[in-house]
Amino acid sequence: MNPTDVAPAVLATDPQTLLASVKQLSSGVLAQAAYKIDHEGFYPADIMRSLGQAGAFGVHLDRNGQQVGLAINVMREIAQQCGSTGFLTWCHDVCGLYMEQSGNPALMGALLDEHASANTLGGTALSNPMKTFAGIEKMLLRAKRVAGGYRVSGALPWVSHIGRGQYCGAIAGVYLDDGSASHEIMFLLRCTDDVVLRQCPEFSGMEGTSTWGIRLDDYFVSEDALIADPAKPFIARVRAAFVLLQTGWALGVTQGSIESMLEVEPLLGHVNKFLNDRPDELQAELDDLSARIQTLARTPYDGSTDYVISVLDARAQSAELVLRASQSALLHQGARGYMMNTAPQRRIREAHFVAIVTPAIKHLRWEMARLSKPVMPA
Amino acid sequence: MTQAQAWKQFICRACGLIYDEKLGDPDSGIAPGTRFSEIPEDWVCPLCGVVKSDFEPYDVPEIAPAIARTPSALKRGVGVVIVGAGQAGWAAAEAVRAQDPKIPITIVTACVGDRYLKPELSIALRRRSTRESLVRETGSSSAERLGVRLMTETFAVGLSPALHQLRTTRGNLSYTALILAQGAQPALPAALPAHLCWRINDLESWVRLKQHLIQSPKRVVLIGAGMVGCELADDFITAGHQVTLLDVQNAPLATVLPEQASTRLRMALERAGVTFVGGVQVTSVVQNADGLKVVTTQCGLSFECDEIVAATGLVTDTRLPAGANLMFERGIVVDPATLQTSAKDVYALGDCVSINGMPCRFIEPISKQAHAIASALNGHADAPYRHDPPVIRLKTHSLPVVMHGAPVAKGQWRVVSETEQQLTMTQHADGLDCCTLVLG
Repeated sequence: MNPTDVAPAVLATDPQTLLASVKQLSSGVLAQAAYKIDHEGFYPADIMRSLGQAGAFGVHLDRNGQQVGLAINVMREIAQQCGSTGFLTWCHDVCGLYMEQSGNPALMGALLDEHASANTLGGTALSNPMKTFAGIEKMLLRAKRVAGGYRVSGALPWVSHIGRGQYCGAIAGVYLDDGSASHEIMFLLRCTDDVVLRQCPEFSGMEGTSTWGIRLDDYFVSEDALIADPAKPFIARVRAAFVLLQTGWALGVTQGSIESMLEVEPLLGHVNKFLNDRPDELQAELDDLSARIQTLARTPYDGSTDYVISVLDARAQSAELVLRASQSALLHQGARGYMMNTAPQRRIREAHFVAIVTPAIKHLRWEMARLSKPVMPA
Repeated sequence: MTQAQAWKQFICRACGLIYDEKLGDPDSGIAPGTRFSEIPEDWVCPLCGVVKSDFEPYDVPEIAPAIARTPSALKRGVGVVIVGAGQAGWAAAEAVRAQDPKIPITIVTACVGDRYLKPELSIALRRRSTRESLVRETGSSSAERLGVRLMTETFAVGLSPALHQLRTTRGNLSYTALILAQGAQPALPAALPAHLCWRINDLESWVRLKQHLIQSPKRVVLIGAGMVGCELADDFITAGHQVTLLDVQNAPLATVLPEQASTRLRMALERAGVTFVGGVQVTSVVQNADGLKVVTTQCGLSFECDEIVAATGLVTDTRLPAGANLMFERGIVVDPATLQTSAKDVYALGDCVSINGMPCRFIEPISKQAHAIASALNGHADAPYRHDPPVIRLKTHSLPVVMHGAPVAKGQWRVVSETEQQLTMTQHADGLDCCTLVLG
């Protein structure tokens, strides 16, 4: 099947209508559920479905005009009310991106339709492989070739936006019979009964992201489930889009923090004016960064080293900014923001997750340094 | 709803919580629409627990909030940040420090910041130089002497002039003034793979290449017979290696020198033992099964060698200036007098700049440029930079070349004197002598 023959799952809506629908859902049901999601482990599957029906998870796909900048703005709107759901949006968006970019007809038709409208939910398990490709970690999943596909074994410590009946993009290192490493494959891992899902320890926040440990024991990957074989060229192609999309989540939590500062300005402005990182300063930085991100979002598959460094730089800056903004929001709100169930307190946890999730600030800097070094003969 | 019926708000004097009559306090059993006066006396603040009498009427301030929602001016960092610790970076640090003993200076550099004279790299083999002998002062001792914070092995990855923010691989820096001294990088044509071709543009790459050339005589192919290519060919041959020098032109430095001079230079290099092959375009470079490198040209020539060195010109990196929207024309565009870029408080000097559309990649102007920047930072408008064509000296042992002035494409060259040892020529354009050339 030719990808262009696939009918869009979501009817194209104009950006304003889409953003307005997303805003309505986010500032309504999502904002009310944010504390429960963060702290009580409430997984907002139904809210994700509503957002999916509104068209929130398909605009970045090639079939819908590759509107990556709009997808970032949608994610930002969601994350402004709930960082966890902003993160789920990213997980969901990149999973759709893997499926579409795979070129595998089995993943690009009805399955992608269902995914883009969030009738089915799925995420991404690329934390370990991304770090492996950057030279930071060793690959945790191992595959061997068998008739009709591969058998995969191994364990991943935590994968978000999955559960029974859900799925995620995953990568395994392929080993030959003599034990030598051959290459890597990327596949859609379906959380069937063959997959052990292990409860994760309690996190300080973001508990409602349906995050599980995964254990695979000779799990069969059919050719229909292959996203890329070999995986490395595929990752090289989608890596910048993968990282760039995350910025929508960081921008949203930052904007939410700024709103929390402004909210108390009439009441506390007379003392808050003595603080650093005032809302107008942070808004200026956010606007400057957003503009750069929107420019980068026009060419998400530009694989040049210069482009990739610029994307990593924007992602690192968004993480640094959200840390400052969330802390400043707490200082601006004082004791009221220190209450366990308040947004500023929650955003402290969300912001730190933005900064430590793959690629973490330290990984981003490591990778930018690696890419900045000139290649020379050995 | 009349004024008398309007919902009122009351503020907790202890914690600032606002009781809004319209919303009530459902968590404490107070229904929306409950007047404050109707709340039972045993009700407490749901946030901090103080009693009802600690609340007072809260009138929403009529005045606009002191803080604007629109982005405002940004806070400024303090101090000078310099990107690059080559000759330009250190010259800038010296000049700024000389005019201001107190201002904080930070240098961000991809290397370790040791100070050496780059022109010495192309004559270093025959001098039997080592890393230690080339380094005039280590980066750390220079930093200590000048009171500079030196961030080594750190890459500048992003610049936001509006924020006065430089982003690096070791965190962000705010600045009052930024000085870009990032240099220029070897331009490597697509046919030359980086992992097979050396480029000698800094001390570290020279040290690494030297390790390959120190054991025994090697066969070296040099691609590009410009100034660096000619000097390296001359140096390598003097140090006992076999050298093949390739160029698209028929003679070395043919785009700069008149034919008579470039022919003389070619003959001098050949007399010294260099095999010059002109008029060739390299189309591929591969490594064969024996580990030897093979250079193939468009016309079908093939050269097997141990090492390849590309000297195919320099370019200024565009990523950082482009991300910051700095004007760029073959280099970072700077004001010819102040060396300021198109962005406020961002200056540039050395190999990375272009003045009147032309890059200027020579050592001599650097200290003058550094002085002009330091003066501009201190508000001294009386010390502008004046750009003069630098004297060009080719350090080829077999035939030194010195050029004063800037040759122009349409100019006519004539011989002033010619002996077996020396050739002197001048160039005329528009009735004026614009350039003098001495070979030998």
